[in-house]
Amino acid sequence: MFPGIYGFHWSPGFLIFLGVFYSVLMVIGVTVGLAVWRAVKAFRSDLQETIRWKSDFQELSPQDRTCRHVWTGEFKQRVCENQFECWDCAEHARLTAKALPSDIRVEENFQATEDVFGLEVPLDRFYHRGHTWVKPENDGTVHVGLDDLGARMMPDPEVLDLPPVGAKLKVNGIGWFMKKSGVAIRVLAPISGEVVAAGGPEQGWFLKVKPEAGFNLRSLLHGNELRPWFLRELDRLQSALAVEGVGVSLADGGVPVRDLGATHPKADWQLVCDALFLRP
Amino acid sequence: MDRGYMVRGVTRSSFSKFLMWILPWTALLALGLYAAWLCFSRGLNQTHMDNRFAFGLWIFLDLTVIALGAGAFFTGFLVYILKKEELKAVINSAVVLGFVCYSGAVAVLMVDVGQPLRAWFTFWHPNVHSMLTEVTFCISCYLAVLFIEYLPIILKNRKLRQVPSFLVFEFELHKLMVVLAGVGTILSFFHQGSLGGLYGVLRGRPFAFREGLAIWPSTFFLFILSALAAGPCFILLTTWLVSKISRKRLVRPEVFSELGQISGILLIVYTLLKTVDTLVWINGTSPARGFPAYQYYQWKPFGTWILFAEIVLFGLLPAVILLSRRLRAHRGWLLTAAVLVCGGVALNRFVLTIQTLALPTLPFDRFLSYLPSWQETAAFLAIVAYGVLVYSFSFRYLNLFPQERELARP
Amino acid sequence: MTTPTQKKSRYGMVIDLDRCNGCGACMMACAVENNVPPAHREATDRTGITWLRVYRFNNGLKFPNNRSVFVPVPCQQCGRETPCVSVCPQQAVDVDPATGVVGQMPERCLGCRYCMAACPYHARYFNWWDAVWPPGMEKTLNPDVSTRMRGVVEKCNFCHGRLHAARERAAAAGRDTLQPGEYVPACVEACPARAIVFGDLNDETSEVARLARRPEAFRMLEQLGTEPKIYYLTRQSWVRKVSEDEVQMARKDQTHG
Repeated sequence: MFPGIYGFHWSPGFLIFLGVFYSVLMVIGVTVGLAVWRAVKAFRSDLQETIRWKSDFQELSPQDRTCRHVWTGEFKQRVCENQFECWDCAEHARLTAKALPSDIRVEENFQATEDVFGLEVPLDRFYHRGHTWVKPENDGTVHVGLDDLGARMMPDPEVLDLPPVGAKLKVNGIGWFMKKSGVAIRVLAPISGEVVAAGGPEQGWFLKVKPEAGFNLRSLLHGNELRPWFLRELDRLQSALAVEGVGVSLADGGVPVRDLGATHPKADWQLVCDALFLRP
Repeated sequence: MDRGYMVRGVTRSSFSKFLMWILPWTALLALGLYAAWLCFSRGLNQTHMDNRFAFGLWIFLDLTVIALGAGAFFTGFLVYILKKEELKAVINSAVVLGFVCYSGAVAVLMVDVGQPLRAWFTFWHPNVHSMLTEVTFCISCYLAVLFIEYLPIILKNRKLRQVPSFLVFEFELHKLMVVLAGVGTILSFFHQGSLGGLYGVLRGRPFAFREGLAIWPSTFFLFILSALAAGPCFILLTTWLVSKISRKRLVRPEVFSELGQISGILLIVYTLLKTVDTLVWINGTSPARGFPAYQYYQWKPFGTWILFAEIVLFGLLPAVILLSRRLRAHRGWLLTAAVLVCGGVALNRFVLTIQTLALPTLPFDRFLSYLPSWQETAAFLAIVAYGVLVYSFSFRYLNLFPQERELARP
Repeated sequence: MTTPTQKKSRYGMVIDLDRCNGCGACMMACAVENNVPPAHREATDRTGITWLRVYRFNNGLKFPNNRSVFVPVPCQQCGRETPCVSVCPQQAVDVDPATGVVGQMPERCLGCRYCMAACPYHARYFNWWDAVWPPGMEKTLNPDVSTRMRGVVEKCNFCHGRLHAARERAAAAGRDTLQPGEYVPACVEACPARAIVFGDLNDETSEVARLARRPEAFRMLEQLGTEPKIYYLTRQSWVRKVSEDEVQMARKDQTHG
């Protein structure tokens, strides 16, 4: 196999054969090496949150990835291929060209609250598909909290693992963790920025965040999208309950109770929570 | 109890039921391992191979499973290089099948050789003129490729993906999959061919010897084609079987039809070339070496029916079924054809490995028979059991059929 | 290792089938010379090791027209496109250019048995068992030949231990070439009927070359084109006919010497 070892000849047969063999070995080695190197680089440059989201997103079922413009009737059927990052989606840009730009600003005029089968949906904020919302404040920061459905999945968490003040949030990265009787929920951050204060369920918000410069809310749900979206989320919850074999299902058109998880075995409830909070 | 490890949105049988399923296979695997241990500790006298039947059941098994495992590289080639997106529905399953087939073949080869600890000699001073050298190099490289292709599927397991480094590595590796698919294709072409060449070059065995192009006998090309035709059919069959056993819809019906059609096209080309090859061999190659072909078929039970079966029954017939859109759409016909194709490839490998050795060459010699010993059979079955086990665990905990989740939705 | 000064030889054999009476002395001598262990008690005629094997076949006729012939078959030392050489994945088989002998290196053999499938003469043997000599018998081992382990292939190499011994003797006598008759395999020496003649086929004057040119000489499976260096002699037309015939009629009944 190497020159000098008994049986090696400098003949075309040997050179071609071993040439091909070493090339193949090299390609395999380089490919794996490249993957390792890129993985290390991704870690170094703190990209693992982005990668996790990209990877998780691929694992979501097409139904979970339905484009928001399907609810508002612009499409009959469309699956998002852009990790819900509407700010660089050509279709979204085309469809919202005429509408108002959703830059960060306070929606003072909206005091209304939509009621979706008993769920309270205040219209003054922007909703992320992982059941969090962003509410811009006058001082240029935003409040981040759980929406009503998210809150009912785990109303009084025993452990609330919020990022410390000064921590950087990455949109679609991990926002915070909540735990209750063995069930852990990973909440996705709806916005990129720096944490300036930590709250909790009592305050009605979980984090106060100074958004990253240039960050916009275009990928968050707002206005008349909310009602169809929440209806769909109830559907999704229903089907998660059915698929995971929890046994208890929501009554037809019924209002979800305050603590949805209370009556469910925790192993199954974990799976339902994962489904609702977009964790594959 | 292990639902947290399964793919979200799909259901699997209860853990106890799964245990009941894997238990008999584990027992079979254990028996086979015992048989392999007997062969290692006491020697190959535990088999019924002998100086005349130097190759037996195991080589037949190797050639067959590697042909069936060709679906892995071929599907990878179609998905990543020809961009046939619809076959993404089976690519993960194909990779697992390929890995099972190849690792099983290598495992049984290690028992089959007399001095397994000397296997590295082939790498140290290879004889580049031997087809077996090519096979050894290609299969070991390709097994590594298959393992690397299998890795992302494992790392995507619901629990494993929570480890950040796994997830990031998987993500980066997946992006480079096209390179591995390309390498896998090259390697597979060569070793599938070389496995055929293995017999085609035996100038001392006129039954197997074939003329060819350049350094490759015609069996080199026929093996590539027949493996390409059998691979998709094997994926089709296993998918259907898993679907039946698990009582789940795993892929859309179009995928079945697509696999069948690809297989049909290749099969008709193969059948055509095989016919030409057989005619050349009967009329030229074999008589020129002093062996008129008719005499091969005078030994019972290997009559001319075997030629008929190979070319018409297991070649032309399934090819016609698979190429007809109407028949293909019918599940029963499609499955029959797939069974015929896989059976045909097994028969072809059987003829080349077993019949070649059974036929006498010396004028005063006789026709030989061989029946594998229980140790050989047990080791053979252990490979099947190993395959079933690896596949069962993969099916339970990994996302083998991305379409299953959508199809499961009410 | 070949000695550079050596003249190129092409060792071969002529076996006179009309002389062979099937006594099997050649097989015994071969086994003793080459340290072939006694057969394991479970060994059969298909798992035993016989570098040289005497086959018997008959003309298939009833008494009194019945005729038998014994055919000693060692490795045929194929001279052209040697089937076993090109197939070995790790160069454990080679042809010595100085002697034309097809050598097998059991030390390097992996035991894949591909060469056995390739050999049309079935002259290759696999060690299915560990070599065991009955107590005391290991003292009879030939020190010039290494024993083989389980799981490797071996075959006739024209007693290469004897070749080396002969070369050493010649070198001690100050010669760099072997004289005819100085190197003779054990089977040749043992045959009581002197049915086997051994020598250098390249040497036109040698007896073996002379006999090989005789019209009664033939080689087995000549049409395969492997150019064996074992020639057979017979004046019996039916034997010639069987060896050349397309239809092999005598296959049903055969035994081993």
